[in-house]
Amino acid sequence: MSSEKIIVLEKVSKKFDIGFKKKQSALGKLLSMVSGREQKKTIWPIQEITFSVKKGEFIGLIGKNGSGKSTLLRIIAEIYQKNKGNLRVTGKVVSLINLQQGFRYRLTMKDNIYLYCTLFGMESNEISITIDSILDFSGLQDFLDTKVYQFSNGMLQRLALAIGIYSNPDVLLLDEVFESSDEEFTFAARKKLRELSAKGITIILASHDFRIISEDASRGILLDSGKIIFDGSPAKAINAYRKLPHSK
Amino acid sequence: MATKRLKIIPLSLFVMSAHISGLRAFLGTSFQIAKAEFKLKNEGSYLGIFWYLLSPLLTFIILFLVFSDRLGGGIPNYAGYLLIGVIIFNFFIRITKENAKVILVNALLIKSVNFPRESLIIANLFNAVVSHLIEIVLFSFILAFFFGTNITGFLFYPLILIPLVIFAIGISFFLSAMTIYVNDLDNIWAFVTTLIWLGTPIFYEVGGQTKLLAVNLFNPLFYFITLAREVILYQRLPELNFMVGAVIFSAVSFFVGYFIFSRLNRKIAELI
Repeated sequence: MSSEKIIVLEKVSKKFDIGFKKKQSALGKLLSMVSGREQKKTIWPIQEITFSVKKGEFIGLIGKNGSGKSTLLRIIAEIYQKNKGNLRVTGKVVSLINLQQGFRYRLTMKDNIYLYCTLFGMESNEISITIDSILDFSGLQDFLDTKVYQFSNGMLQRLALAIGIYSNPDVLLLDEVFESSDEEFTFAARKKLRELSAKGITIILASHDFRIISEDASRGILLDSGKIIFDGSPAKAINAYRKLPHSK
Repeated sequence: MATKRLKIIPLSLFVMSAHISGLRAFLGTSFQIAKAEFKLKNEGSYLGIFWYLLSPLLTFIILFLVFSDRLGGGIPNYAGYLLIGVIIFNFFIRITKENAKVILVNALLIKSVNFPRESLIIANLFNAVVSHLIEIVLFSFILAFFFGTNITGFLFYPLILIPLVIFAIGISFFLSAMTIYVNDLDNIWAFVTTLIWLGTPIFYEVGGQTKLLAVNLFNPLFYFITLAREVILYQRLPELNFMVGAVIFSAVSFFVGYFIFSRLNRKIAELI
């Protein structure tokens, strides 16, 4: 593994203004109802997070629902802008954060491959060369001209992961990419991810599948309420997760 | 000194080539989105792209049948006058309506992938320009064959189309960013476009109505439509103030629209 730092976060924080029900007077309720505006409160889903990732590292990101995993991935991908701190990411970032939900369902798989590979910075001639690898990897060769709305969740997830892997990333950000996949594909995809990591591609995988995290990741990061609780070996990160209180 | 200059030249060439390759990538992304949107819109449709032609054509036919004797009675070549007004208005409305909802329609994509969101707006523009050009070709033949209009003036239309496109992009940037903050913008814009349709001399002329003229001096579409009619229909050089007005409206719309979009762009993903 190279010592070159690909991702560096220093005291990164993110703020959201979210809607909530506030105790109001009858007049206040009436005014809110008429204006259609909801009350807002400020939350910090990511709080002063500091860590760095070396080239080729495979990070397993774990935490409860709402702990800030997806938000952190979106900040690293620069889909969300941080409110505080410093962020530096080197190289091409490919993010698969619920990508399968973003497919154009009334278009064919081929059209979706061209569209998403383009969004990941590939040119048409590159896509024409790569499309066979995407089909081979996803095992969806027979559905090239099938409209995506006819796909199962598992097929969509296969397609999303195949597109991400073959878009020539330097950094691959994956959010629950094995949720609906069958065992055969999960096995092949995990093998591919380990190969990519060995080749120097940096991977951050947010997942609740502790078997994958403990067996494949080289490092585990545990998030809770937007803060890093543990950063170290994947097995210890999982142990730390299990010791978290169930509810607050 | 000479060495320094030599160093500067390759550096500036490098910066320039980086800009060009960035622009190429941006246009490539916009084109791919435009292709996808085009296929989506025509998916399962029997008439496909001809639906785009049908709407302005039917509007034109109805208006022509209703108004050609009264409102259009004193207007030379009323068919051409009306048709140019209809297709320019239609082009502007098509771009701005599509772009007013473009961010919300692509919410899942925006939350998943980091890509230039401006390409969504430019993609809609590509599709609108293609259908507009098809409209222009088809309707110029209608004018030539059915109304005996000399259509050579259409050759100069790109000179008007370019500022019109810049103007429409500016409005699109503004609307697309504002829909995130103003939920009712769709309804407001639908109302505003109805006002523009009625207030712009599309199926009537300003004539001696000074109040109407005064209002239309602040109406950018009045400038573009008037310029197009002067050049295409009447084959004469338009008045300088109309040309300057169109350029000013385009520049102001583009810079203000893009400024607002780029300021709000950073919060778009988290607000949708």
